[in-house]
Amino acid sequence: MDISRRGFLKLSGLSVVAVATGLGLNPEVVEAKGYALKIEGSKKIPSICHFCSGGCGMLLYVKDGKLIHLEGDPDHPTNAGTLCPKAASLRSVAYSSARVTKPKRRAPGAKDWEEISWDEALDRVAKKAKEVRDASWKASESIVNAKTGQSEVFEVNRAEGIAFLGSAEVDNEESYLISKFCRVLGIPYNEHQARI
Amino acid sequence: MSPSFGRGAMTNSWSDLQNAEAVLIGGSNCAENHPIAMHWINRAREKGAKVIVIDPRFTRTASKADIFAQIRPGTDIAYLGAIINYLLANKLYDAQYVLNYTNALLKVSPDFKFDAGLFSGFDPKTNKYGVDTWSYQLGPDKKPLKAETLDDPDTVFSKLKEHYSRYSFETAEKISGIPAAKIKTIADVLAKAKPATILYALGMTQHTTAVQGIRAYAVMQLLLGNIGKAGGGINALRGEPNVQGSTDMANLFNNLPGYLPAPISTDKTLRDYLVRNGSIQEKPLVALLKAWFGDQANKDNDWGFAFLPKLNPATNATMVKVFELMEKGQFKLLFNIGSNSLVSIPNRQLVRSALTKLDMMVISDLFEVETAQFWREPGVNPADIKTEVIMFPAAFIYEKDGSLTNSSRWIQWKDAAIKPLGEAKPDLDMLDALFKKVRRLYAGSTAAKDTPILKARWNYGEEPSALKVLQELNGYDETTGKLLPTLADYLKAPLGSVSTGCWIYAGVTGNGNLAARRGNTDPSGLGLFNNWSFAWPGNIRILYNRASCDVNGQPVDSKRKLIWWDSAKNLWVGNDGPDVVDKTKAPDTPEGKQAFRMNPEGVGRLFAAKYMSGLPQTPPADALPVIGIRPAGLCVDGPLPEFYEPIESPTVNLLHPKVSQNPAALVPSAFPDIQKRGKPENFPYVLTTYGIVEHFCAGGVTRNIPWLNELMPEPFVEISKNLAQKVGVKEGDKVEVSSARGKVTVYCLVTDRLQTYQVNGKDTETIGMPWSWGFASLSPGPSTNELTIAALDPGAGTPEYKVCLVNIRRA
Amino acid sequence: MARKTVFVDTSKCTGCKACTVACKEWNELPAEKTHLVTSYQTMKDFTPNTWTYLTFVEKYQNDTMNWYMRKAQCFHCAEPACLKSCSSDAIHKTDSGYVVIDQDKCIGCGYCVENCPFGVPKVDEVRKKAYKCTGCIDRVENNLTPACVQTCQPGALEYGDRDTLLPKAKARLTEVKKKHPQARLYGEMEMGGTTFVYLLLDSPDVYGLPLNPTMPLSLNLWQDLVRPVGTFAVGGAAAAVVVGVLGNLLKGRYSSGSEKKDLSDGSKQEKGGER
Repeated sequence: MDISRRGFLKLSGLSVVAVATGLGLNPEVVEAKGYALKIEGSKKIPSICHFCSGGCGMLLYVKDGKLIHLEGDPDHPTNAGTLCPKAASLRSVAYSSARVTKPKRRAPGAKDWEEISWDEALDRVAKKAKEVRDASWKASESIVNAKTGQSEVFEVNRAEGIAFLGSAEVDNEESYLISKFCRVLGIPYNEHQARI
Repeated sequence: MSPSFGRGAMTNSWSDLQNAEAVLIGGSNCAENHPIAMHWINRAREKGAKVIVIDPRFTRTASKADIFAQIRPGTDIAYLGAIINYLLANKLYDAQYVLNYTNALLKVSPDFKFDAGLFSGFDPKTNKYGVDTWSYQLGPDKKPLKAETLDDPDTVFSKLKEHYSRYSFETAEKISGIPAAKIKTIADVLAKAKPATILYALGMTQHTTAVQGIRAYAVMQLLLGNIGKAGGGINALRGEPNVQGSTDMANLFNNLPGYLPAPISTDKTLRDYLVRNGSIQEKPLVALLKAWFGDQANKDNDWGFAFLPKLNPATNATMVKVFELMEKGQFKLLFNIGSNSLVSIPNRQLVRSALTKLDMMVISDLFEVETAQFWREPGVNPADIKTEVIMFPAAFIYEKDGSLTNSSRWIQWKDAAIKPLGEAKPDLDMLDALFKKVRRLYAGSTAAKDTPILKARWNYGEEPSALKVLQELNGYDETTGKLLPTLADYLKAPLGSVSTGCWIYAGVTGNGNLAARRGNTDPSGLGLFNNWSFAWPGNIRILYNRASCDVNGQPVDSKRKLIWWDSAKNLWVGNDGPDVVDKTKAPDTPEGKQAFRMNPEGVGRLFAAKYMSGLPQTPPADALPVIGIRPAGLCVDGPLPEFYEPIESPTVNLLHPKVSQNPAALVPSAFPDIQKRGKPENFPYVLTTYGIVEHFCAGGVTRNIPWLNELMPEPFVEISKNLAQKVGVKEGDKVEVSSARGKVTVYCLVTDRLQTYQVNGKDTETIGMPWSWGFASLSPGPSTNELTIAALDPGAGTPEYKVCLVNIRRA
Repeated sequence: MARKTVFVDTSKCTGCKACTVACKEWNELPAEKTHLVTSYQTMKDFTPNTWTYLTFVEKYQNDTMNWYMRKAQCFHCAEPACLKSCSSDAIHKTDSGYVVIDQDKCIGCGYCVENCPFGVPKVDEVRKKAYKCTGCIDRVENNLTPACVQTCQPGALEYGDRDTLLPKAKARLTEVKKKHPQARLYGEMEMGGTTFVYLLLDSPDVYGLPLNPTMPLSLNLWQDLVRPVGTFAVGGAAAAVVVGVLGNLLKGRYSSGSEKKDLSDGSKQEKGGER
């Protein structure tokens, strides 16, 4: 949250003209008009809230590429312009100083992070994925047939050493790619918050 | 809900809540965790609807209720059983509905038994049920025998009546702490107010009787005739922004996208898979394999069935179990996207320990959530932890294109509004780049195990396009390469000629991106909003809406007309998309009668019988195992809901003391030093845990938002005035809450919103704690899941967060 | 613009506090360090950075729990004591019924703080300015609803013409009284009729509100002595302060409570306007 941009009510255009004219009332005092809106000149872009499963519509006011205000989307049939406190606060995520903005690596045993490039981070992960997948690959297993009591060998094609948690916090398309990534690599161990 | 109705989703929608005459909120604190619900519930209230709230605490939701009942956590089935008993005994059910749209008349196998807390088929060695006796009596046509009247002693209806005859209001009071008179009042309201809807969330599911609790709701709503109707239904309020979508996409070990069962080791071929799962799954699975492997999945290679990993059926790899396997050392690499397990998993000691067993953890998130920093939690020496951690900066919801599916099954698209902060990227980009890198590492490999990676269809552009992924979900006509226009086009296409990444999403982008639709008119006034985004399946807004009509296909509620049979057009038409087998089949045809077409019986299931439709009458000549059409959804712990005490309980089961707890419940115990169980002598109070409106789940996002930290700056424990006096604390004191597994020190709220109550004649106390804190973030605090128990529902794998035993003292 | 009203129906309020966040977001107000005060309330009082907050009162009687939640903010009185007491002509009232502090003129003297019967305005000691809810005057003048009203999900806040909303509020009261016999409207008459009109479920004192909020005596004396007979008219005008008083104030005689008397010395006039 940008607290330095703290704004107070600013009167613009025809400001209040207060004139002391003795006992007489002053009919010339002008009703304050033309209050400048901070959202003037911004583009309204609809989005969807990221908390509960209500799927409320949010309207983002974007000026020069910056998110300057966020409120409920009045056209959204579910929430008709309203938002809960969590959604109403979501502007502050856009420029939060607490956000992670660069890939990081914590080396084994290290006390802190080090910054790394996207490419290096991906390379490390891809190599590890291959290494663990190859080392933990189970091509087949034998299972006892309950009816015959005989054990039988089945092809199972799975990577035993990799698990993937996620996620109800990402978009459908991402969630789907997680599913597909896992199964194509032979990872059945994909779980996420829906279970809890 | 799937074993009752055929689909596991919320039946109605947020905007439909306004149509209810009564709203039962039990196991949901929607004013706090789904605030938008109150927008619509208040509209219903304004029109005179009665709101009933059942909760262990008087919550912000309860403050808006007409009737509030304080319940001992985990005893819902006791009072619901009493209501079911009352409805049956006094004939307060909807007879026409029960006869035509439920399995009430079907005859149950004489081998089915229930005795002293156990259903037939229980194996005490494995703590599992064999389900063969939970079946119907079948005729020579392999279809269930149907009795003439409900009174026939073999019917589902008679079994139901007998089963619940043990549940009197008085018994329910002794178990749940809700006064008998109040339960009766609730039953009377529900018997009269039609339609009535039910809202539940984790308050029902986070128990070792999770599935059965929801089944009790289903039985009650089927008896009342409330399913398939505007203002009715059972609304499962899903927790996270896209938990409906992520479940649809099967980020779950036991499914593939579109609720296809995951293949298991013994499925050597697609045929084996179909023997288990029915021929109904053939088309969607083949369409999925086409989406994943294109031409590489074809008739000659069994549609690429061998490309899929097969899980050992004995491995129940649910979320908590994954951490147990991790602790055992099975996993060397963990991907963790948008998940904060170190705060959110019960008995978090297991998580803390298990993560250290990894070679590498890959995490993608907006903030450095606790899980990302497990190696430097206070009290931990980072030098001892050899896990390498790679953290990717994730783009936030409004920094990326994509869709989310809300609880009402609305698939809603949004365009990126601003650029991601710093070097953050959408997870889509990360996954796409990672897959491409992995594939490059395997380039040239001829090993069979690497074939799926090398042959996968993975083509979303240089910079991946979310729309292209959604189009893959929608599906293509593989012969022309064109998008499938609608679900109907998918359904009528020949096997293997179409692909869909998730068949229930067919139609979402077939005629433009329907998920981005913004038509917000509501001509029916029922809040259907058919032209807003796209609801799966096939844009149906209220599931099972065939049940809103009588046998002749005409709406039973003239004020709330959803669909009807237009005899002039010979077509099902209406305000909503008709949830029928075939729109051209008249109400008196076998297809037109089906109100619950996803069940093999075509009706709602009061008794969750084992059944497969379409089995051949005579054994096939080839002697191969037969393939039926559609199997029924099963509950692994019984065909009828039965009350069991929580795993940690202050008392014994009044109905059957020898089988006090769910006999099939999973209580992971591979690590007894970590997975401890407490006794009431040492831990006399019942702890229940929950979310609050000011924070969200594990707090990874909200504790980094100053405006929200200001609204709720710290975790707390809520206790009754009696208990405060007993332990000698007052509001504002710091207290220590301890369980067999750990302890935390928090601020104490002393309140009348929790009252001492009687269980089996004994004074009992519930204490409450929100769970959204952890050691990191702008607003750190102790994690409540230090205390909770990781005992699991045998079917769903949900942990019993809602009940464990604790003690409390001044810190 | 016609007289506006915000109807606060506490029978619908769920205490979610979204109004607080929406207010801070729109008005660019920073978060402050808070603690639990009582029940789920974490904000004790107004501050220069907190213009609206939720109060929580728990009342258990006859085996029945009532949890009263109320959004607190400036009432925007028809007869605003703050306006009357303002030493620097900084507070004015609009035809629509909003009482607004002009930050360019405010000198932070604190008279408004001392005279408001609801304790609403607060002076930022660093900036030497008084702050309070503006009613989102910038939004309403541009035909938007106030940020708090806009965001309210349970529909506890409604904004509109007073002539339309008051009858609605009364009808709602009749309904709510069936369950809460002590329910009443608050703000219909109080302080000349406030812009924020509440439907309270119990007596105002249960909510910590004054039963009979009044103009402080000193201000009334001043009013009686100085003002011509007639209604205390306020519409659309900003209070003007004569030079003499301003001079006194600038000499630093404005910080203690006893200085209130100076305002009633008859040496300045209240400006009025048509309603």
